[in-house]
Amino acid sequence: MSVLQVSNLVKRFDNVLAVDDLSFSVSQGEIFGFLGGNGAGKTTTLRMVLDIIRPTSGSITVLGGAPDRRQANAIGFLPEERGLYSGMSAIDTIIYFGRLKGMSPGDARRRGMALLERFDLAGRAKSDIGDMSKGMAQKVQLATALVNDPQLLMLDEPFSGLDPVNQGLLEAEILSASQRGAAVIFSTHVMQHAERLCDRLLLLRKGRKRFEGTLEEARGQLPASLVAVSSSDLSDIAGVHSASAIGEASDGWQEYRVQLAPGIAPESILEHCSTSGIALRRWDERRASLHDIFVHMVGEEGSNNDE
Amino acid sequence: MMNNVLLVAKREIRQILAMKSFWLTLLILPVALALGPIFTSTLDDDEPSRVVMVDRSGGDVAAAIKARFMADDDRATLRRLSRYVQRYDLEEADPQAVWTQHDRWYTDADIATFRASGGVDSALEKIAAVKPDGVPEFEDDNPRYTFMPATSQLQGLQGEEFGQAAQALFDSDADDAPEMVVLIGENYPENPEIGLFSANQPNPVFVSGLQETLTGDLRTRLLASRGITGAEAAAIQSAVPAIAVSTPPPGGGAREALLVRSIVPLALAYILMMSLMLTGSWMLQGSVEERSNKLLESLLACIRPEELMYGKLLGGLAVGLLMILVWGGCAGIAAYATQGVISDLIRPALEPVSSPGIILAILYFFIAGYILISAMFVAIGAMVDSMSEAQGYLMPVILGLLLPITFLIQAILAGKDSMLIDLLTWIPLWTPFAVLARLGLGIETWVMIAAGALLAVAILVEMIFIGRLFRASLLTTGQKPTLKRVLERFRAQPQ
Ligand SMILES: Nc1ncnc2c1ncn2[C@@H]1O[C@H](COP(=O)(O)OP(=O)(O)O)[C@@H](O)[C@H]1O
Ligand SMILES: [Mg+2]
Repeated sequence: MSVLQVSNLVKRFDNVLAVDDLSFSVSQGEIFGFLGGNGAGKTTTLRMVLDIIRPTSGSITVLGGAPDRRQANAIGFLPEERGLYSGMSAIDTIIYFGRLKGMSPGDARRRGMALLERFDLAGRAKSDIGDMSKGMAQKVQLATALVNDPQLLMLDEPFSGLDPVNQGLLEAEILSASQRGAAVIFSTHVMQHAERLCDRLLLLRKGRKRFEGTLEEARGQLPASLVAVSSSDLSDIAGVHSASAIGEASDGWQEYRVQLAPGIAPESILEHCSTSGIALRRWDERRASLHDIFVHMVGEEGSNNDE
Repeated sequence: MMNNVLLVAKREIRQILAMKSFWLTLLILPVALALGPIFTSTLDDDEPSRVVMVDRSGGDVAAAIKARFMADDDRATLRRLSRYVQRYDLEEADPQAVWTQHDRWYTDADIATFRASGGVDSALEKIAAVKPDGVPEFEDDNPRYTFMPATSQLQGLQGEEFGQAAQALFDSDADDAPEMVVLIGENYPENPEIGLFSANQPNPVFVSGLQETLTGDLRTRLLASRGITGAEAAAIQSAVPAIAVSTPPPGGGAREALLVRSIVPLALAYILMMSLMLTGSWMLQGSVEERSNKLLESLLACIRPEELMYGKLLGGLAVGLLMILVWGGCAGIAAYATQGVISDLIRPALEPVSSPGIILAILYFFIAGYILISAMFVAIGAMVDSMSEAQGYLMPVILGLLLPITFLIQAILAGKDSMLIDLLTWIPLWTPFAVLARLGLGIETWVMIAAGALLAVAILVEMIFIGRLFRASLLTTGQKPTLKRVLERFRAQPQ
């Protein structure tokens, strides 16, 4: 069942086309990565799903209806820019957000305490946020997003600014939310997390979708490359874009760096070699990292790997 | 929807109640009110002095002394009554009465006439018949001395023992312990020595009254012993000059009456302004915190901007009403505790604001004023990123708001119907202040209703525009709110 369905979404600010004809959908239990560089339109899209801003055109169906605060009760949201009331205690903050999301005071408190327990913060439940370290406050903020056991969890750049311990904790929470059936969307411009977590991902560039699919499908987008050692020239094979020799041949065996044509799987070339009697001594496929795919599709200027 | 508004309001209230400055300002007024009565009750002791007379010479002398002091009290009453009548132009109550003659020092004969015509009670009856509304009641002072009978124990004592017994009376804790004991010996007037025992330094007015009375008595007896008949002697004694008194009448009575009526209305307008400025700045601190702490997006994911705005307004209003409740309660307690001293002042002051209709109107204009003005603070809070930036926008708003209000209060203190008062009544921004402040002067019902309706319309329009501004401003950061941007946001549709 699809929890979120976005079709032909457009958002234009005065002179900026922030989101340009974007369509995608996310289903129950799925972890969906929303990738793109700074200014790609990730935050703007998430805000439209939350009805914080309205689309210029296009439609959004979230949890079966148009975006509306009534769905807030089933949504958890962690904004990109984070902060809480410094004069409020951790548990009161969580209860406040729980109640804004339609929970009863008792439920919000129980659930809030359970989350603090899980985050190792039960002892600090009554401490003011202002007296806590940044890492603790981040955990409290994550708890405000999770307090209502959301069916749709949306996290905007959730890993940025997190220390490694909290990054691990966040990954665990994302996995456990998806295991209990929630759809999770998180935006990021750091690819490692997406690579580890995402069932599916969407690549955005200047508001336009460049790719949507699984990690494997994404890899398929990138022309495969491999290193092979063969006795015959590999550059003549159909489907091979280029095969450049590396170093001198020895005993008739030559090492090649092989670049396949787009859409060609390395296995099909390997099969072709064995059926047509081309001798091979080595066949090393190079798996593209998400970062490579990202740079390939979005361009180096869109990637930002400084974190 | 309502639920979220209430949640936001509750959080806002909790945040303000957690501020030290809130409690400080809340308590300043009651503390001032509590200190007031302490001063007045120590400064102005109004109890009459209790005097015990022991007359062993037959009793005539004591009677003469009592008569003398009662005459003094009556003269004082007559003078005060005369001033009162003159101040409020009440001569028509009885143009022939002594208390409508303001040009002289009242003689014993005048006092006798005054008593014969029924004294202060009958005078007040006549005055009540002509007294216009709003003129305060005449306040009669207590007599300065009360005379108590001597205890039989004191009657029997002589010399040193008498003095010790008198001292023991002074030192007793009884409520009616005398403050002075006067002893007239049995050999008076042959031995004209009078004993005056006093708990404190004797009051010079009392001593000179005593001395004058006894001097007169001694002289009459002396004259009689020289062959001058009692009637002639009395005539000689009573030959006193008639002193014509000429002072300007006490300042405009009507104006003073209006001032008394305007005390509470002006206080209401002032309190509205004060509590608005206070809660406004507290609300502003809250909004600035939400912006600078990047809280808004989390909130907006759960609630509509309108809910956030209304919640803030409601929270501010609740805090304002709480402050006024506490202040009003303290004023009430103070009035009750100091009944005698203040209540006579408060009664005429409360009179113009005590009908149910007026109370409803006060409540309406108070709440409407609160919403109208605090919405502006909320709007400023939505646009600025720091408290210091907020100050820059607050100054012009506060000055623009306050200056006309100070002129308004001055105009009302001057007691004149002025253009300004009328004008401000009809400009919604100042309507609440003007209407509240005018309640003492008197304001036509239709003006109140029409201005109130105009105010309601203004608030509706304001909510629409400030709502847009609020929504459009929430997620903008680092943009200086120039006038151009503000106008753009006023026009902004939900985006
Ligand atoms: N309120 C706004 N007004 C004008 N332009 C905006 C506004 N919000 C975002 N933008 C623009 O829209 C584009 C997309 O921004 P954003 O969604 O924040 O990107 P991302 O979250 O992917 O970094 C950017 O060019 C940004 O400048
Ligand atoms: Mg962003």
